[in-house]
Amino acid sequence: MPPFKDEQIIIIAPGSETTVAQLGLPESFTPARIRVRSRMFPAEKEGEWEPYKVRRRSDKPEMSAPAHDAQGAVLNPANRDDDDIVYEEDRVSEEGAVWPIQQGRIVNWPCFFALVTHVYNTMNPPFHTPILLIAQPAWAPREHERLTQFFFEKFKTPAFGLMDSALATSWAYGVHTSTVVDVGRDKVDVTAVSEFIPHIQGRVIALPECGGEALTNGLLAKLKSRGLTRDMCEQLKKSPICELLPPGTPLPGTGESNGLDRITNPAAAASTGAPGSGPAAASAIGNVPRGPGADTEVGDDGNGDESEGVLDVASIVAGGKMSEYLARKEKEKEEKAAAKKKGLEAAVQPARPIRLPNAKREKATFMYEDHFLLDTLKNMNLGSKGMAEAQAALDEGPQKKGQDDVDGEPRSAIDASGSADMASSSSRTGPIRREIEVGVERFQADSGGILEKIADAIHRTISSVDEVNKRSELWDSLIICGNGSRLRGFKEALMVTLQTKYLISPSSATIFTSEIPSNISTPAGTGANTPQPQLGPHGGPSQVNPLLLAATTAQNPHLMPPGSNPLGMPGMSSHNQHSSHGQTPTSIKFVKPPEYFPEWKDVGFDESAFLGAQVAAKVIFVVDQGQSKGYMTRPDYNDQGPMGIHDYSL
Amino acid sequence: MNIPNSSTAPNANEYAGDEVSAIVLDPGYSTTRAGFAGEDVPKSVCPSFYGHIDSDSSPQYFFGENAIHNPVPNLEIKNPWGSDGIVEDWDTATKIWEYAITSRLTGSKPGNPGKNGLNDANGDDMDIDIEGLENMEKPLEESPLLMTEPGWNSQKAREKCIEIAMEEWGTPAFYLQKTGVLAAFASGKASGIIIDVGASITSVTPVLDGMVLKKGVQKSPLAGNFVSNQIRMIFKQSQPEIPLTPHYKVASKTQVDAGAPSQAIYKSFEIPLMESFHRHEEERVLTEFKESVVEVWPGPGRFSNGTNEEIAKSQPGRPFEMPDGWNQVFGVDRYRAAEALFDAGAALQDAENPRPKDEHTIPRLVQAAIQQVDTDQRPLLLQNIVVTGGSTLLYKFNDRLNYEINAIYPSTRNKLIAPGSVVERKYAAWIGGSILASLGTFHQLWISRKEYEEHGVNIVEKRCK
Repeated sequence: MPPFKDEQIIIIAPGSETTVAQLGLPESFTPARIRVRSRMFPAEKEGEWEPYKVRRRSDKPEMSAPAHDAQGAVLNPANRDDDDIVYEEDRVSEEGAVWPIQQGRIVNWPCFFALVTHVYNTMNPPFHTPILLIAQPAWAPREHERLTQFFFEKFKTPAFGLMDSALATSWAYGVHTSTVVDVGRDKVDVTAVSEFIPHIQGRVIALPECGGEALTNGLLAKLKSRGLTRDMCEQLKKSPICELLPPGTPLPGTGESNGLDRITNPAAAASTGAPGSGPAAASAIGNVPRGPGADTEVGDDGNGDESEGVLDVASIVAGGKMSEYLARKEKEKEEKAAAKKKGLEAAVQPARPIRLPNAKREKATFMYEDHFLLDTLKNMNLGSKGMAEAQAALDEGPQKKGQDDVDGEPRSAIDASGSADMASSSSRTGPIRREIEVGVERFQADSGGILEKIADAIHRTISSVDEVNKRSELWDSLIICGNGSRLRGFKEALMVTLQTKYLISPSSATIFTSEIPSNISTPAGTGANTPQPQLGPHGGPSQVNPLLLAATTAQNPHLMPPGSNPLGMPGMSSHNQHSSHGQTPTSIKFVKPPEYFPEWKDVGFDESAFLGAQVAAKVIFVVDQGQSKGYMTRPDYNDQGPMGIHDYSL
Repeated sequence: MNIPNSSTAPNANEYAGDEVSAIVLDPGYSTTRAGFAGEDVPKSVCPSFYGHIDSDSSPQYFFGENAIHNPVPNLEIKNPWGSDGIVEDWDTATKIWEYAITSRLTGSKPGNPGKNGLNDANGDDMDIDIEGLENMEKPLEESPLLMTEPGWNSQKAREKCIEIAMEEWGTPAFYLQKTGVLAAFASGKASGIIIDVGASITSVTPVLDGMVLKKGVQKSPLAGNFVSNQIRMIFKQSQPEIPLTPHYKVASKTQVDAGAPSQAIYKSFEIPLMESFHRHEEERVLTEFKESVVEVWPGPGRFSNGTNEEIAKSQPGRPFEMPDGWNQVFGVDRYRAAEALFDAGAALQDAENPRPKDEHTIPRLVQAAIQQVDTDQRPLLLQNIVVTGGSTLLYKFNDRLNYEINAIYPSTRNKLIAPGSVVERKYAAWIGGSILASLGTFHQLWISRKEYEEHGVNIVEKRCK
């Protein structure tokens, strides 16, 4: 009788950006049911935290509750001080949020504990729930103790386990040896896991300026001059049109400058700082200097032709010029449609950009959800009716798209991003969407050399593994995970970077010499080094002993099958390298994601650490009935205190 | 009431019971090892090299692996250790060691305990707050610290160690132990002769019953870095010269034939990088070369003896590819790089690298160390020759060492104790420290804070023999 049942187990995986959690293990493992942004908002009272932004509204009370779209969360009743002031929770806004985890490290403990408590309460677990926490590599042993103490004393959990995220990832892929590259929000961890043991000494922890944030910054650096804000770049990064091309790929349309003049306004209000929250600040927003020069003053009637590039709608709206802006926008659309029609009649359009793959297109558009604008609107206290109207007027999202189809923008990208959003957002409080067009900058997120830094970190990590003969296997089992690597083309580009910089080619000098190639070891007396012909993933075409084949064919070059050489022989790659001889890598490969998790296949394996945690939770809590000491029980904790966690954590 | 003796566990609240995990710090020239006592490998292995940008206003320091490999203009890579194996730059060394401890063991310092929530969580009462506030800056206030030192450490350096630990880190208890003794402990030996070939220093330490025979301690600069320099010279003196290009300079490489000039695409740097950075990055390539190509001539006889070179020539070569794609097979040359560790005459020389002294070779060091030991103890030591240090991982190093020692002492039973596991070989001193500090009987040896405050820094001379 296992001590715990599947449906009792809680898994929590905190991250810098998103914390995922789940209560209970389903029959077939699924991606986490609960996803929470890893941030909390300071409450009115010092030291207390709220999971959502609480906004003061001097409105009629019945207008208060916004649509509850978040999964399963219980809406706290708005607490009323008096009749006029209403507090409401704003589930979309992130103004003033505190992010307790930065670069994988917990920097704000009370906030982090509040976040975990929030996640825990959201699941609303019964008693007798063991908890498995995925630990970031950056957490030091002392911090593990701190967490252990918290979980036992706050949640009174009967059992608690900590699992290293890199190890969890390798569990998910079901491989005992792998190099796990976890690309996070603003850091990258590279860990060599060998025989299910993370190699702690050489692991690269929290390599800064390499994660998703850095990619956003790379885009921002390129697009700032075009007036895109950071938030826009962030959303551009997440849209499918943003892509990393393998190094050396020419950008589409390089050398041509046609059509680049469509976004004309160089820096329209790009520098408008986010004002403080609250009505006072919001009303003052119109007065905030918002451009580097005089001609950037938005809403100026004189330069109507610029409006295509006006991106900071928030300040326009806050400045009370919304109707003008809308009218102009409308007019412009008509003009544009007319111009398009004329253009179509006048000249045959060159090949429609729609049909080209993204990587070949010079320009593409994406849908931008303007949270800042939404915040501004909310701070203006329009009342819900006015709010809805303003939103409907400003939203250019797919629901309005039907009418505007005339301007022939490429649709595929928008639909992909839009449809996903539609399901979760209600029309009334959903985000305000606008279209933004960008050029080839969208391929240049890596302008800061991020890939090279990561590649170097991988090389360093594997080179620091003491068992030299393990290294080639580590190179052959790379796992790239983490949501920072979701960017299209990221993994492929990283692979190309690794291959062009670090791959060791077979030396032309050894192929035809009469010797056993240096990476084939002499069989030891124990049989440890004797190569075995393998089948399965590494299975080579030949059934003979590869060593024998290598030895015979190397001495007789004419016997060697054409196109192959002893150094690169399949089947030899995994464990036959002699210790201290033979450089690595002679090949670099990704580990294939497991195929028996249909739910995960659809969303991708970027959060595979969570999958690994599910597998591990099943094993340590249920299957092996607590034999492997994979978790700490309450009596253990009472005996040993938080310090004891080091004897238990995986 | 039982009287405590050497075999009873000490009272748990006396200094530190087994529950309070002491920290073991084993600083070295190349890496600094730190971890909790009782564990089998150090959790934190940080480079002892650090980055330094000397700007007018405020000099910047960079610690840790992540920070010192970035090609940043004006970044100097330095090392606080002197060439004699004793720390020179104490200020920076302290910071590096502190980084090694805090980054991966204790975590960054908590902020104000009143606000960091630790006390909210466990509901402790307020006196912790006050205590915490007083020592807020001290990273080690909860952990006793066992530190290692080389056998030839000066009194001044030892006093400095305890001063740092007590004053700057606020450790409640401290002990200093010699690496030789600890390496012997790691192999389960109380007596033996310890051959430690590190990065900058090779040392031979005779240990009897857990005590270092101080006058027998020998050291020489013929160690890992020396081998690296020999490799550099091999590259330089070969015809045509072998280019040594570190990874950071290469954007992408193309496969070329052996010996052909490379066809890589190089990166350009607007501001040239510092020479020390370049050299440090070259060292990475040399390490790879040492791991995959260099071989110690296993004997019998020296490499230069008789027909040995001819025999070596008939051995298959080992290919090596540079980061820029240049590649070649190294035949005889690969035996030359490390030969001078055993035979000073075989060293490659040039103006900057004079011929090493004969008495610095490892066999001579062993001989000199044994000389200082009583004749009747010598067989005991020679039965327990502990080999440690990263540079002993050179291929066939032990074969050669075995041969050399048997040549000098043919009449005794000589036994090399070289742990097969790389981790144990590299971190032997740390592992010994981990074992020592977790022994119940060791707790009476700690120098407590009180004793330190009473006697001052020179207590370390009295207590840590």
